Amino acid sequence: MTLAQPQAPQAPAMPAAGGPPPARRSVPGRIRVITGITVASLALLFGALAVGSMTARDGLQVIGRDAGPQVVATADLYLALSDMDAQVANVLVMGDQYAPQRAQALDRYEAARSRANEALMQALSLADTKAEQATVHAVLDRLGRYERLTGQALLLDERSKHAPGPPPQDVVLTYREATKLMRVELLPQAYNLTLESGTIVRATYDEKTVMVPLLRAAVVVAGLLALGCLIWLQVFLARRFRRVFGPALLVATVTTAIALISGLTVLAQDENALRTAKSAGFDSVLTLAKARSISNSMQGDQSRYLLDKEWADTYEHTFLDKAMSVVYLKAGNLRTYHDQVAKGDDDVLGLLGPELVGKQGDQAMEAYRSFQAADGKFRELVAGGRTNEAVAERLGPVSQAFDAYDRALVSLSAGHQAVFTRAIATGEGSLDNLWRLLPFAIGAIGLLVIAGVWPRLKEYR
Amino acid sequence: MKRALAAVLALFATVVAGCGTDGQESVLDKDKIVIAVRPDLPSVGFRRPDGGFEGFDVDVAAYIARKLHKQASYIPVLAADRAKVLTDGKADLVLATFTIDQERKKDVLFAGPYHVSYQDILQRPDETIKNVRELKGRKICAVKGSNAAQRVVEEREVPAQLVPFDDYKACLTALKSKQVDAVTTNDVILAGLANQDGTGLKLANAQFNEQRTGVGMRRSDVAGCEAVNRAITDMYQDGTTARLLNRWFGKSGLDLSTVAVPQFEGCS
Repeated sequence: MTLAQPQAPQAPAMPAAGGPPPARRSVPGRIRVITGITVASLALLFGALAVGSMTARDGLQVIGRDAGPQVVATADLYLALSDMDAQVANVLVMGDQYAPQRAQALDRYEAARSRANEALMQALSLADTKAEQATVHAVLDRLGRYERLTGQALLLDERSKHAPGPPPQDVVLTYREATKLMRVELLPQAYNLTLESGTIVRATYDEKTVMVPLLRAAVVVAGLLALGCLIWLQVFLARRFRRVFGPALLVATVTTAIALISGLTVLAQDENALRTAKSAGFDSVLTLAKARSISNSMQGDQSRYLLDKEWADTYEHTFLDKAMSVVYLKAGNLRTYHDQVAKGDDDVLGLLGPELVGKQGDQAMEAYRSFQAADGKFRELVAGGRTNEAVAERLGPVSQAFDAYDRALVSLSAGHQAVFTRAIATGEGSLDNLWRLLPFAIGAIGLLVIAGVWPRLKEYR
Repeated sequence: MKRALAAVLALFATVVAGCGTDGQESVLDKDKIVIAVRPDLPSVGFRRPDGGFEGFDVDVAAYIARKLHKQASYIPVLAADRAKVLTDGKADLVLATFTIDQERKKDVLFAGPYHVSYQDILQRPDETIKNVRELKGRKICAVKGSNAAQRVVEEREVPAQLVPFDDYKACLTALKSKQVDAVTTNDVILAGLANQDGTGLKLANAQFNEQRTGVGMRRSDVAGCEAVNRAITDMYQDGTTARLLNRWFGKSGLDLSTVAVPQFEGCS
């Protein structure tokens, strides 16, 4: 603290009888002015802190409470819808055998339908643009039509009592119409809803990563200004009133410094929390949700390939196309792709490329490899005309391999989901603490400034 | 108060973000954009004698530009140069029957697809080819720069005989004079060719390879890509796509019974 200067002007506590001389009147005036500037700079500091933390909170809110859950809800919707279609295809190739499996598949269809309904309700409540709402409504509408068509296909199939393998033509045609509705109209809309959540997160994140550091800089400037003003006030009073310190102002200065440092720390933590939530959590959760969705419709394509002879080439091609978008390996046809997957390549492109890291990543790749190997075997049986065995292969080893692969993706995703949830909770927690402490800091500093200045002003009364 | 504050902050953020981009501009930051379209495919992307362009891709391009509030100008692009015009900065968007695939995604960011077409087969009126398997042993036209015919042999493993030609015009002449039995590629391209030809060449509606036609953009332009995806969603939701498809392919025999927004590739 600056010491009182010996050459300080006359002591103020000597009011003259006449009108106060201009120099004297200027002392309380100047005290008021400096105090005013100090209070204004403090207001600026707390204003900047409030705006900074509001911006960060808004980011955490959008990413953590809105778009994050929306990705989960819409991915659930896709998986449920895709599962419905795959189960119907499975039932249709079972024919007059596999009674227990048939009942099981129909149960799974019902369960998937109610999951889809639930996810739709949730997606609707989370949809925040007109286009998103229109999309959810369109899905609701068409789902009814889809269920009518599959009901018809299942009924025709049951009546026909065909052997395992492709059902009669009327069943195939009805199912073809149903699955077209599902694959061409319903699933893309569900998938695009998931993507839209990704768009919202990216835009919010980009905006916040520009804004939060800027506001942090504003807090630093306002904070240094406020500290400077407090010191100025202190020095001025010390000179004028020949005091070494004003304890109240000293405490106010220290409190301001603490508020500044903790505010900056919290903003830095939130910036970090946003970055972690997005880069280490959300991005991977979204990618894995996309990969699971696409993979799930791949296994539906297997049953459809078996079920619909005329469209078999198309279904085989969509299977390959989807496989390549999940794990890309250069291949001109499915058989080459199977070979490439079996050979193994550490440097894979496609959706899963960046996600297949660590031990869990290796396990997921291994599971994918088994699934593709099972697919190769299944297709050989179909091509060799061994339909019965192909059906058994599809319902047995192929599904098991797929389920294992899907579980591997789920556990990969769970790790990132945990990182995401933790980052959002940490960010919100530190903000909550800041917001709890700020009013006290503001009140205390206000009172301390008054306590430091008021007695000096009173000396002029 | 909070709203005004948010508006000021948003404005500030836009200015700062605008300064921050390192040369690689987003289409969103431009007032005028250049769109590359095909000059050689009737009904899809075709240069008229007056120098202007017309076709389904051109109309989609105009719709997207309008939705983005940009003034658009068009340049012609041939199949082989579609990625290059983007990397060279000659075009901002490419709508030129640009099929999304994993190899191309290394250099190009794809918005959309705005249309999902299938590989199909064009044949003489008296032929009855129904699917790709029936091309076994038949002569099919292989156009330079297109891998469609190759895919029949390699991907579908159907032993057809490839007969090379320079372009689709030569292919059609060969088809009519029975030098080849079929032309195969994207169904919209075939539909456009049949339309223009007018002698009754017909589509098999075999729909054997799904082809997702996307909007090519610069690799770094994620925000632009997302905006284009939203425009495409609108184009389907407001009925424009159905209208445009009917306008260009309504009489071609192409199956237009289902017009639905495609599953987007995603912008990352």
